[in-house]
Amino acid sequence: MEKENWINEILNSTNGMTHVAPNEGLYSKIEQKIFLNKNVVSIKTVWLVAASIVVLISLNISALQNKKVTTNETSEAIIASTLNQSNQLY
Amino acid sequence: MTQNKDNFEKLYHDFNNLVYTIALNYLQNIEDAEEITQDVFLQIHQSLHKFENKSELKTWIYRITINKSLDFIKMKSSKKRLFIFGNKSQNEAEYLNSSNFEHPGVLMENQENAKILFLAITSLTENQKTAFILSKVDGLSNPEIASIMELSISSVESLVFRAKNTLKEKLAEKFKEYRKK
Repeated sequence: MEKENWINEILNSTNGMTHVAPNEGLYSKIEQKIFLNKNVVSIKTVWLVAASIVVLISLNISALQNKKVTTNETSEAIIASTLNQSNQLY
Repeated sequence: MTQNKDNFEKLYHDFNNLVYTIALNYLQNIEDAEEITQDVFLQIHQSLHKFENKSELKTWIYRITINKSLDFIKMKSSKKRLFIFGNKSQNEAEYLNSSNFEHPGVLMENQENAKILFLAITSLTENQKTAFILSKVDGLSNPEIASIMELSISSVESLVFRAKNTLKEKLAEKFKEYRKK
């Protein structure tokens, strides 16, 4: 009987409990976090920027390689033309 | 923009006590409950435009708070397990101190008994804990709890019944220690 009474006392110990107010400065902390969250760039945007940079770099590399090939071709053509001029048969 | 800010501020003033008290009931630690309150209002701010009025605003806020609190407990207990093999961390020490938790909302004359009850509540399963806290600590009706937990009323009744039985068993063991004193 004593045991049951004690258990019931414990189980009913939260009767009359009231809601508690948090620290008064909590709202300004939340506002700060909201402001910080707004200024944080999303991961999606970061990936998009990274992918754009990769594409840009690869386009530049391929453009440079094409330029090299054309420069080589042009210099070969110049040499060939000079050779032709000097090797004329009389 | 300013209207949104005003609406959010009003929402905070209407529900901050509720959110903080629920978090406190679960976490039994003032700093942790404040952290959860911040997280809950951040999520409310981010997702308020997605709220479709399918449920009451209060029910929606209850759900967010309960989920965040349960996740926090899981995270903390996994950290605790991690530190079993190492030195005692500050977190672990805080966790062990939950037996000394004095709920600021409990009447002064019930503080000692409430300490024992809150310690026993930590041994309940997630669903039993939620049903018991909402029913016996927060004083909600079974239909309200059913709506928050998205369960039938009979399931809630069964959860509260089982939670009470588990607590009675735990408290019966505690009674032996109490008698020895």
